[in-house]
Amino acid sequence: MWNGIKEFLTGKSSREVAKGRLHLVLAHDRTGLDGARLHEMRQEIAAVIAKYVPIDADMVEIQIETRSRETQLTVSSPIQPRNA
Amino acid sequence: MGRAIVITSGKGGVGKTTVTANLGTALAQLGHSAVLVDADIGLRNLDVVMGLENRIVYHLVDAIRGKCSVQKALIKDRRMENLWMLPASQTDDKDSVSPEEMKSLIWELKHTHDFVLIDCPAGIEQGFKNAIAGADEAIVVATPEVSSIRDADRVVGLLAASDIPVRLIVNRISQALVKRGDMLSQSDVIEILALELLGTIPLDDQIVATTNKGIPAVLEGKSLAAKELLRIAKRISGLEVEDRVASGFFARIGRALGLSATPA
Repeated sequence: MWNGIKEFLTGKSSREVAKGRLHLVLAHDRTGLDGARLHEMRQEIAAVIAKYVPIDADMVEIQIETRSRETQLTVSSPIQPRNA
Repeated sequence: MGRAIVITSGKGGVGKTTVTANLGTALAQLGHSAVLVDADIGLRNLDVVMGLENRIVYHLVDAIRGKCSVQKALIKDRRMENLWMLPASQTDDKDSVSPEEMKSLIWELKHTHDFVLIDCPAGIEQGFKNAIAGADEAIVVATPEVSSIRDADRVVGLLAASDIPVRLIVNRISQALVKRGDMLSQSDVIEILALELLGTIPLDDQIVATTNKGIPAVLEGKSLAAKELLRIAKRISGLEVEDRVASGFFARIGRALGLSATPA
């Protein structure tokens, strides 16, 4: 019950925060990619998408997340309206 | 032919040496012959945790260099039948032995003992590579903290690359903190690392006291941590051990009402 009240007042419990941080950190660790390589990959993916649909290259996001021992890479990018 | 099990963690200070000392002692209590190998060359500590520091004559590097036989380098524990320790050298460094040399040393010990427990140094460099070289299986010790779990995950990946099966011990869990939402729970750790669990050792003041005295806690046997360590040893030796049921007043009421009483 205390748990519930505390989470209601302060948002997430430190346990939940730790879990979330671990999912992200482990996902990155498991890919073996450093920040520079990841940046490079993001730029290349953005360039490929931009060849086909109009996008803002700065809005392309790469998310790496892990559940159990499966690691998932997700690329998301808003597409600009045509004739914009 | 015995089984060689490496106890590892990546991060230092999570309780590898204490777990090694207690599991070895508990396995000996269960009637198996066990030898504890300190693979932390240059920073040995298994000897002091076991309280055998005054009896060291030869060490692991001496045995590998042929300065003495492997059997002669072993220290027999006088408190327990069937329990031996092979101390590390304090004056050499990790590079003074190779994985191949470790492998043949462990191979020889497996011929004379049911269990060879290898206390791995922290890190993932040469000392780690030496410690896992002769191991048939691995136990990863992790405390419920972000840094420890991150390092454990790294080690699990390296062990998988070497085809060594891994099981998990979660060390120093405080159920009070878990309930308050301020500590990762046993199931959180299992979910994140996706490993088979051998057991969860509670945070226990008694461990500090027994370690001060150089007595493995399972020899005194009373503390919660010691009981869990004995259960883990039983599980390692292949005995069926039922899951611990939450004790205490509220857990009993919960069970009476048919609510789940399994610890989170």
